[in-house]
Formats: sequence, structure tokens, C-alpha cells
Amino acid sequence: MRALRTHLPLYLLVAPVLIYFALFVFYPLGQGVWLSFQKAGLLGPQGFVGLANYHKIFVARTVWDAFWNTLTISAGITIFGTLLPLLPAIALAEITPDWLRRALQTTIYTPYLLSWVIIIGVWMNTLSPIGLVNSALIALHLIDKPVTFFASIPWAQPLLIGQTVWKDMGFRALIYLAALMSLDPEIIEAATMDGAKGWHKIRDLVLPHLAPVIGVVFLLTLQGSLHTFDSAYLMANGRTAEKVTTLALFAYQKGLLQFDLGMASAAGVVLLVLCLVVAAVSRLLVPQARL
Amino acid sequence: MLRSKGIRRLSYILMALIALSMVVPFWSVLVTSFSTRFDSLDPGLRLWPSLWSVEGYGTLFARVNLWLPFANTALVTLAGTLLHVGLAMLAGYVLAQPDLPGRRLIGGIILLTLTIPSQVILVPQFILFRQLHLLNTLTALVISDAVSAFSVLLMKTYFEQVPKEILESARMDGARHLRLVWDFYLPMALPGVLTIVAFQIVSRYNMFTEPLLFITEADKITLQIALNSVIAGKDTTSTSDFIAPNAQMAAVVVAMVPLLIFYPVMQRYLVKGLMVGGVKG
Repeated sequence: MRALRTHLPLYLLVAPVLIYFALFVFYPLGQGVWLSFQKAGLLGPQGFVGLANYHKIFVARTVWDAFWNTLTISAGITIFGTLLPLLPAIALAEITPDWLRRALQTTIYTPYLLSWVIIIGVWMNTLSPIGLVNSALIALHLIDKPVTFFASIPWAQPLLIGQTVWKDMGFRALIYLAALMSLDPEIIEAATMDGAKGWHKIRDLVLPHLAPVIGVVFLLTLQGSLHTFDSAYLMANGRTAEKVTTLALFAYQKGLLQFDLGMASAAGVVLLVLCLVVAAVSRLLVPQARL
Repeated sequence: MLRSKGIRRLSYILMALIALSMVVPFWSVLVTSFSTRFDSLDPGLRLWPSLWSVEGYGTLFARVNLWLPFANTALVTLAGTLLHVGLAMLAGYVLAQPDLPGRRLIGGIILLTLTIPSQVILVPQFILFRQLHLLNTLTALVISDAVSAFSVLLMKTYFEQVPKEILESARMDGARHLRLVWDFYLPMALPGVLTIVAFQIVSRYNMFTEPLLFITEADKITLQIALNSVIAGKDTTSTSDFIAPNAQMAAVVVAMVPLLIFYPVMQRYLVKGLMVGGVKG
């Protein structure tokens, strides 16, 4: 009893957080799973239908499209988003006047802070039919007529992946750079004395040193990319929708635009299972995953 | 660092290219925004406006009321950040108590939320907000992301470094605990608190999914939604209502200004936080 009286104030202090998670995370999650077995429309659940929603989404071509879109977009973002930032990280460590390195860090980190509305706006301008890139390509006689980057099916996924990788490049590079700074300069010194070439030092010293951090970045990128929503929503138009509609975007369209809450919830559950499976598999593969 | 001339030279070239890929598109936005309506519709390699003009900004502010969405965003950012930091500090403080029974269980429950991506629960969250009559209120935007497991863990990590002698292990009521957090823990963990503040300000300012779902009334929309309607031309109902690229890019510039003012002030914490985040994963 005395112990309880000592600890009670502490439990009360943490209670708001637990109540928040219970009400706004766990309850909606449970309701989502429950709704996925219901026929549910604008008026709310109208009865248990078993696996009908799942049956519906697995025979629908659009859901399979969304499923594959999610996987390919996620794979692209994860592979390039994990590996490409290694280049600026290693390069930044080489840049000597301190002010120049800081200026470059600030520059490449900035897109990470900007909203997707701005990022898409910026690239729509640069890649528009009358924009910088098309004008340059035409001036160089590489193309005859402008490429409609944001309204073409083959460009849709590469653009979505490319913009995401570009946006987060500076952020990931700074994570790598921080890890790189803990590499003992004497090891590099010793390797140099032994006559090791620059590339060999990267391969044999730098990359092994960064391996644990690369593992963490890989996991963060993978899990983040599976629920791509904002960028996909902003890029989707009449031409590109079939290529950039991810599961998260599909659930939104089904649930909130077409009011088929049952089917939207089922798509949400599929996404959740996908996330959990990927998390479990990557946790087996990457030892750094355990928090 | 690697003591190799070739790599050093390549590094400068590579960084120049990457930095250019960031600078040139933004410069192009700036140039377009300061072009005349006619020039901005003209194809060509434009790295300098042939005629400087604020026509685009004029069109933007004449056509769209940006002040109200901006005020809404400012309110949500302020209230949401305060709430988020406050709750994270409370939970972090409790979890940092070394001998509290059930500490591991509470920590485990909070950690579990990391595995549930918010995009998965969008639809049921919409239903919940409708049941609570929170649709079309700024409260809904403040409550979304009111606290996160990541912030709680960050606070806990910082608070665990506070010397334990401060703790009077004897009976303390809630008010005494709060005093202690405010007087000792907050100052000693200030870098951690400011890191959360910095990231919250950025993410609240950029918030897009939540207002898209929960807000439909025109007088409650936030800045990003208002800007998107301009940039994507989504509320153009007739062809005469066409918004030219100069006005669209003026919207992009206007949206960036508050963040670019805020960035240098908070840069230290934004970078420091990502180091902690990167290591802790």
C-alpha cells in the first residue's frame, strides 16, 4: 500500500500518454481489423461478412496494382535511399575548408525539411514541358519535343523514387558522416603507410566501419517507404495514378472518397501485415534492428 | 581524410553536382516566380528573368487568402508542439525512474506503437474523429501525433543521464514531480527537448495527410493544403481561372520562407537530433 502511494503520482503522470496511444492508435487499429470483416459504408458497419472484403480486394486488379506498386516503389526507395547517400557522406569528409563543408551539409540537408507539396512543386517546375530540363535537352538536340515527365506512365515510379531519394539524401548522408567521424584516423594512416589505394581504403576500412549504421538506415528507409502516401497522392494524376497508387493511397481512396470502409480497412490490414512481415524478416537479416 | 588525391578531387566534383541538383531547381522556382505571367508560360532555358516582376505574387495573394491558412498552421504548430513535448517529457521522466514497478511493461506498450504505421490506421482514425465530433476542427490536427514513441525514448535517454541525487526517494506528490521536471530535468536535458521541438515544428508545419483527411471546411484548411490547391491547380473550375506558373511558384516560395527563417536558428538541434536518432534507430 505504501509502495502504491509512492508510485501512484508517477503512474498518473504517464497515464495521459498511455490513454492517448490506447484511444488514437490501438483502438483505431482494432477497429480497422474488425471493420475489415464487416460490410461497412457511410452509415457504419452493417453486419459481418467474413472474408468477403479480402476476397473482393484479392480479385480486384487495382489492389494487386497497388500491392506491386508499393513493393516496387519501396524497393527502389530502400536500395537507392540507403546506398546513394554513402557517396556524399564519404565526399563530405574529404572537403577541407570547414565553412565549405558546413555550407554543403546545410544545402543538401535542406530538402529534407521541406514539405512534399513544395518538393513536387519544385520538380514539376523544373521538369515541366517548358521547364529547365526539357529546354536544355531540346537546346542540345537530344530530344525533338518535350518529355511530359509528370504525365507519363514509364516516368511515374522512377520520379517518385528519385524525388524521395533526393529529398532524404542529405539527412541520410549526415547520419553516415557522423558515424564516419568515429573512424580512427590512425587506421587510415597505417593503411596509407602500407601503400593502400584510396578505393581499397573505402572498401576495406570505411564500408566495414559503416556497416552497422547502413543496416539501421536500411531498416528505417524500408519501413518508411512501405507507407508512402503524401508523395504518391501529390503525384497521382489521370495518367500516372495506376503506377503510383500505393496501398496507403488505395485505402484512402476506397474509404474516404468511395466510402467503402470495409474494403478500405481490408487494404489497410494487408498493408499492416506487409509491414510486419518485412519488419520481422529484416530483423532476422540485420542484427542492428533490435532496439 | 582518406589521404588520396584522386578521391579528394572526385569528392569536390561529386558534392558540386549534388549541391547543384538542389540549388538549380530552387533557383529556377525563384526565377519563375519573379517572371511576368507571359514569360512564365514561355518555354526556354531561363536562369534569369528577362523582366523582373512581382505579378505572380500579386496574383497569388489576390486569388487565394493565404493569411487564414497560415494562421491555422501557426496555431496547430504551436499547440501541437507544446503538447507533444510536454507529453514526451512526462512519459520520459516516468520511464527514467529506476525502480518503478511496471516500468518495462509501460515502455513495451509505448515501443509497440512504433510498429504501427499511422497510414495503416487512417480510415479508422477518420471514423473515430467523426465519432468524437472532431472533424473540421484544428483540435483534430493538434491531437494527431500528440506524442510519439520516438520522442518518449529520446527524453528517457536524456533524463537517465540526470544525476539521481536530485530525486528525493520519499513520498512525492504529482505536483512535486512536475516541479522537479520543470526545475531540474528540463534544463539538464535542454538539447534533447529542443531537438524534439525543432522536429515537431517542421513536421507540424509540413503536415499534409491529416488536414487532407480531417478538414474540409475552407476556413479551417492549413497552409500546405491551400498551397497545394494553387500549385496543382486543383480548385480551378473554369479555364479562365487558370493560375500561371509564376503564381504557382510564388506559392512555393511563400511556403518555404518561414522554414528558411527557422532553419538557421534550429539547425544545430535538427542535426544533433538526427545523430541521436540515427544511432538509436
